[in-house]
Amino acid sequence: MTDHPSRPAIPSEPRQHGVPPRVRARITRYLLALLAFVLIAPLVPYAAAYLGAGNVPNPGAGLWNEVRQRAGPADANTQARGVESAVLINQVGERWRQFRSEMLVPVGAWLLLGTLGFLALFWILRGRIPLEGGRSGQLVPRFSVNQRVVHWFAAILFVFLAVTGLVLLYGRFVLIPILGPEGFSATAAACKEGHNLFGPIFPFAVLAMIVLFLRGNGFNQIDLKWFFRAGGLLKGHPASSGYYNGGQKSWFWMVVLFGIAISISGLILDFGVFGQGREVMALAHVVHGGVAVVFIAASLGHIYIGTVGMEGAFESMSHGYVDANWAREHHDLWLAEMEAAGMVGVEPNALEEVKRHDNIDFKGFGSPGTKAVQG
Amino acid sequence: MKLTKKSTQAAPTKAPTTGWTMDRRTFLRSSGIAAGSVAAAGLLPGMMKRADAGAPGQGKGEINTVRTICTHCSVGCGIYAEVQNGVWVGQEPAFDHPFNLGGHCAKGAAVREHGHGERRLKHPMKLVGGKWKQISWDEAINEVGDKMLQIREQSGPDSVYWLGSAKFSNEQAYLFRKFASMWGTNNVDHQARICHSTTVAGVANTWGYGAMTNSYNDIHKSKAILIIGGNPTEAHPVSLQHVFRATERNHAPLIVIDPRFTRTAAHANLFVRIRPGTDVPVIYGMLWHIFKNGWEDKEFIRQRVWGMDEVRKEVAKWTPDEVERVSGVPEHLLYQAAKLMADNRPGTFIWCMGGTQHTIGNNNTRAYCIFQLALGNMGVAGGGTNIFRGHDNVQGATDFGVLSDELPGYFGLAEGAWKHWAKVWGVDYEWLAGRFDPGSYEEKDGKPLKPMNTNGIPVSRWIDGVLEDKANIKQKDNTRAMVFWGHAPNSQVRGVEMKKAMEKLDLLVVVDPSLPDHTIMLKFAKKFGYGDELTKNIKVNGGEPLIEDITREFNRGMWTIGYTGHSPERLKKHQQNWHTFDVTTLKAEGGPANGDYYGLPWPCWGTPEFNHPGSPNLYDTSIPVAQGGMGFRERFGVERNGQNLLAEGSYPVGSEIKDGYPEFTADIVKKLGWWDDLTEDEKKAAEGKNWKTDLSGGIQRVVIKHGCAPYGNAKARCVAWNFPDPVPIHREPLYTSRHELVEKYPTYEDRKAFFRLPTRYKSIQATDYSKQFPLIWTSGRLVEYEGGGDETRSNPWLAELQQDMFIEINPKDANDAGVRDGHMVWVESPEGGKIKVKAMLTQRVAPGVVFTPYHFGGHFQGKDLRARYPEGCDPVVLGEACNTAMTYGYDSVTAMQETKCSLCKIYPA
Amino acid sequence: MARMKFLCDTERCIECNGCVTACKNEHEVPWGINRRRVVTINDGEKGERSLSVACMHCSDAPCMAVCPVDCFFQTADGVVLHDKDICIGCGYCFYACPFGAPQFPTGGVFGSRGKMDKCTFCAGGPGEANSAEQVRKYGRNRLAEGKLPICAEMCATKALLAGDGDVVADIFRQRMAYRGAAGLGTGWGVAYDKGLRKASGLDGKAAGKED
Repeated sequence: MTDHPSRPAIPSEPRQHGVPPRVRARITRYLLALLAFVLIAPLVPYAAAYLGAGNVPNPGAGLWNEVRQRAGPADANTQARGVESAVLINQVGERWRQFRSEMLVPVGAWLLLGTLGFLALFWILRGRIPLEGGRSGQLVPRFSVNQRVVHWFAAILFVFLAVTGLVLLYGRFVLIPILGPEGFSATAAACKEGHNLFGPIFPFAVLAMIVLFLRGNGFNQIDLKWFFRAGGLLKGHPASSGYYNGGQKSWFWMVVLFGIAISISGLILDFGVFGQGREVMALAHVVHGGVAVVFIAASLGHIYIGTVGMEGAFESMSHGYVDANWAREHHDLWLAEMEAAGMVGVEPNALEEVKRHDNIDFKGFGSPGTKAVQG
Repeated sequence: MKLTKKSTQAAPTKAPTTGWTMDRRTFLRSSGIAAGSVAAAGLLPGMMKRADAGAPGQGKGEINTVRTICTHCSVGCGIYAEVQNGVWVGQEPAFDHPFNLGGHCAKGAAVREHGHGERRLKHPMKLVGGKWKQISWDEAINEVGDKMLQIREQSGPDSVYWLGSAKFSNEQAYLFRKFASMWGTNNVDHQARICHSTTVAGVANTWGYGAMTNSYNDIHKSKAILIIGGNPTEAHPVSLQHVFRATERNHAPLIVIDPRFTRTAAHANLFVRIRPGTDVPVIYGMLWHIFKNGWEDKEFIRQRVWGMDEVRKEVAKWTPDEVERVSGVPEHLLYQAAKLMADNRPGTFIWCMGGTQHTIGNNNTRAYCIFQLALGNMGVAGGGTNIFRGHDNVQGATDFGVLSDELPGYFGLAEGAWKHWAKVWGVDYEWLAGRFDPGSYEEKDGKPLKPMNTNGIPVSRWIDGVLEDKANIKQKDNTRAMVFWGHAPNSQVRGVEMKKAMEKLDLLVVVDPSLPDHTIMLKFAKKFGYGDELTKNIKVNGGEPLIEDITREFNRGMWTIGYTGHSPERLKKHQQNWHTFDVTTLKAEGGPANGDYYGLPWPCWGTPEFNHPGSPNLYDTSIPVAQGGMGFRERFGVERNGQNLLAEGSYPVGSEIKDGYPEFTADIVKKLGWWDDLTEDEKKAAEGKNWKTDLSGGIQRVVIKHGCAPYGNAKARCVAWNFPDPVPIHREPLYTSRHELVEKYPTYEDRKAFFRLPTRYKSIQATDYSKQFPLIWTSGRLVEYEGGGDETRSNPWLAELQQDMFIEINPKDANDAGVRDGHMVWVESPEGGKIKVKAMLTQRVAPGVVFTPYHFGGHFQGKDLRARYPEGCDPVVLGEACNTAMTYGYDSVTAMQETKCSLCKIYPA
Repeated sequence: MARMKFLCDTERCIECNGCVTACKNEHEVPWGINRRRVVTINDGEKGERSLSVACMHCSDAPCMAVCPVDCFFQTADGVVLHDKDICIGCGYCFYACPFGAPQFPTGGVFGSRGKMDKCTFCAGGPGEANSAEQVRKYGRNRLAEGKLPICAEMCATKALLAGDGDVVADIFRQRMAYRGAAGLGTGWGVAYDKGLRKASGLDGKAAGKED
């Protein structure tokens, strides 16, 4: 155990991007224009189709309109056996198609590309968030082996499902021109099979994440301040934070809520053997697709900040230890706790540290107080 | 907004253009919609042959298109069968067939499956120790034959029952009756007994012939259509094509009278829901309004109807209040129905098994006839009694006497009839008589009758032939061997007793032909030692009697109903020239069959050489007899109680006798001075004979030449004095839901000997079962299946559409009984039989009435018997046979079984 | 150019299921796949009507719009077909189709549905018309032989019409003209609401229990 409640930051040279401000601004403008083009481009065919629409009237239209107004599934009968074969007009289908074609596909594209663009912009403007104080060389244990294993299990599965899902959602527009119809069909079939086979594992990953990461993820007033200070992302406005900051907690709860939603809706879609009709399936699909797109967009932010976006962040999930300076700059209150517990500057002895780490009391779930504040 | 980009449409790399577009004319022809052009259009060139690669058989070889006929109902839809290497690989619509114009119901469109169905039995099988064992045809014929000969030795020929089929062709039906006669028994019958026997009896006893008077196509000319006790949308779907033609183009109102809101009722202008078994009150309820308002055709009745006054007396009793009390139909509905029929003449009257299958079935059918006679709707195109038969050839099998009370051509069983046929068959009458049991068990007017001349046991009663005490049966011994030859046992009622009867039999033979039926008949005949007699006039090719020769033989004997003009050559000419027949009149306009009516509807008088065109509508006096016209038949004498039974002032166009006249005999021909119109040969054959027995056809030829119908020109009679109820009256069913009506409308007294068996009526009705069994139970047909359903339930395309035996229950009754939709339910009848079926809650049936289809089998009182079928021969769908629990009750004239009105109770299973 | 359409005349459809088995027979459609079906509304009650339903070959087909692999195409005749070699069996077309036309051979777990199957308007699919492969995958190609869909050709009452949309509409219009305003026509509305009551002279009489 160490008896240093807080060490002075170890000075180091702040990193500099070698791009002059004017050039950077031009690049930014260029990127913005590109982003706008990328976002609008997928909508062009829809507009074109809309303008060029010429409808041939169906002679049975009047008849069907009548049926549509009269027939519900309850008073129709058929000798054909199948899912909802007695339903003459699938009312939900049109709404589902509208959602998918006119909401999910374009808005999802906007959201994903917008997020990417935003991150690119952020990277250009802000650059990688450096360790202001440089590396101290002192390690603080952050994530246990169990947590890291679960995280990476979930992460890999997530990425796989996201990619396969996106192929099914956007492949028709993006990949058919590249792979051709047959090539894309094979790809899509593989993606569909993979998505359907591995998808049902995702709920277990979500469950494990909840079990191992729930502790410490309760919101408190510190998080409020943290949000007010924009998470300390702006230079010169550091925000205090405990073990998890407000952003991390938000991400965690997104994983929980989105994960549950996407798991349930996915299972409904994947196991169509319980007689669920098209209404249920379509609703499940709306939830699944909608949540997935938002989930993926959010995950992009998480991935960005956990990798290229911030110096010293990735190692918390790779090795399980962070540099004490990183902890001070991003999780000062937690560092204080750790110092109090004598956990700063430990040797990277995984087994031992993990045990000790697991024994640390974070004052329980949702508790606002910390030892450091008190002590 | 377009849902898809333009660019995704018709991608040239993968979108094959057919290179073909269709003009209006082609479309009309292909869809069989345009009336005139269809008949003239003929075959599309592309229709005769298909590209080899396109056949699902995938084999190489020429694809031949064969014309055939659907076997599933009496419409007789034409089919183009595509046959490759002996396998039926495809089916094309026969747009040029005048009956269906290419149309088919579920069964017809899937009929190909019967040709190559995998579940058909391919070899004779014998049940040995509970296991089916394959045996050869020789073994089968020998084993069965030896056993039968042994039974014949011990119990006489009447102990073997030959149950034939409406699935036989005319030729097979004829040969079957001949075969059974030579075996020496009248214990031969077929489905008509339980289908339209009451129609034949009732109708023939009203105006002479028992057939449908007009035709499906003739409905085109109807101004009104009344359907009672029939659901043609399921039983005869293609007939609706003709019905709709009348409702749409003539604005003919469609009136449906039924206990059940059927698919037919859904298309009706007027639906009248009746209590099952109250047809007579309902008909009289309409006649009440007709007579009251003077809507009857007085001139028609005066000229051509006898006994209407006695009907009036009966009708007067059926005031609207009494009709409503008995049948449940309010006055205004019957008034509407009567007025619609009166205002829109000619109207056609259609009935089916809902009217016939009752203990008073013969009363019902005669009441229907009387209704049409009152309105003057008989003998006119667009009118008539269009009696829709069940099987494809139930009329033919009836005509050819596969019945326990008839010989071919309705000659009856009297000595003269046997002599007539012995002559046609070329066998010695004494030899034939010697084949029968020489004993005597019944008498008439104090004289003993021989079994050869007494009605045999009908199919509806065969189980009583087995189970009844020998002392009570009017033949030597019980039935000991039973042959089901194209007949499903589950179509007969009292299934529980039937099981007992089957177990008691010495021998039960089921013939499901993998060889032609007539070949099997000859095999048996040879075994029994009369093969030569059976085929005396018939060439035999490799064991198969030549069909054409059978036709030629019956042409020489079927004078009564004019089945004499049908040479094989003429029939084939019709089959090959479908397109030349007009779709409304059914008359060939030009072509090889010019002037003929399609299929030569009988009477097709005289010999084939006489070239009579057939009779399109019976009793139509507006055309000469030579072209198919005629008055009513003189069948019941010329006088009754001092009243003239012959027509008065009504006669077919061109008749030299401008009034009624009796049937023709050689003597009458001589009296009229027409005798010398006969040739010398004809004179020789006709001397002392009449129009029915003159094998030369000379009498028929000559009287038709003088514009007369050979059978006379008489009145139709409303009073059948030879029947238990001369004027049709209402009698409550044996198991009635309204026991308080029994006093006023009781059933018959029990009978000691009726078709050789004691028959119960009053002793059953005496007990009131309606409290314990509160629901009226009726049964009927589904469009997907036919008859007992063994054939159609083995067809996966049909079976898929009807996978469960069910019972239609009104939600009110279901709730009272605690039964839920789709749940299993027990249906139990007063005789103890019960079936376990799926409940279907529906408004199709009124509260108090349940309905079951009768096509299911293979389950027995809750037990699945699938394992008992020969391996691979079990139908796709099995289910409880409704007749397992259906009850006793037989028509007073024909022993038709009562399946349309019994009682039951239901409870959750 | 012809634009192929189906039309089911409800005044004539009697739910005989001839169209259903005709289709099965012609294309050897396996058990459980309903390329065509007949649906009855108001079963057993006044106003009961039946309708034969299959793929309607929409001009602007939702299935085409949602297919993730773009396996649908429309022929020059306006027939909506699909390529089973491209189809991945995702089921989206089934969700989107207003008429429940797309069918799948299996309904197993893990989203396994098999290749979609549906009415082809008897026009087969991609590839050579009536080649062994096309017949096996899509059934017979009757259009290529100059014929129309078997279901309509075999309709018992000629309720189901198929062919060039304009011609079908003409025929239907002609029928409507026959039915006309004069006389009774068919149908409950006419029969019960006005026509018969008036004709019977019992206009004012209270409706009986059988109405």
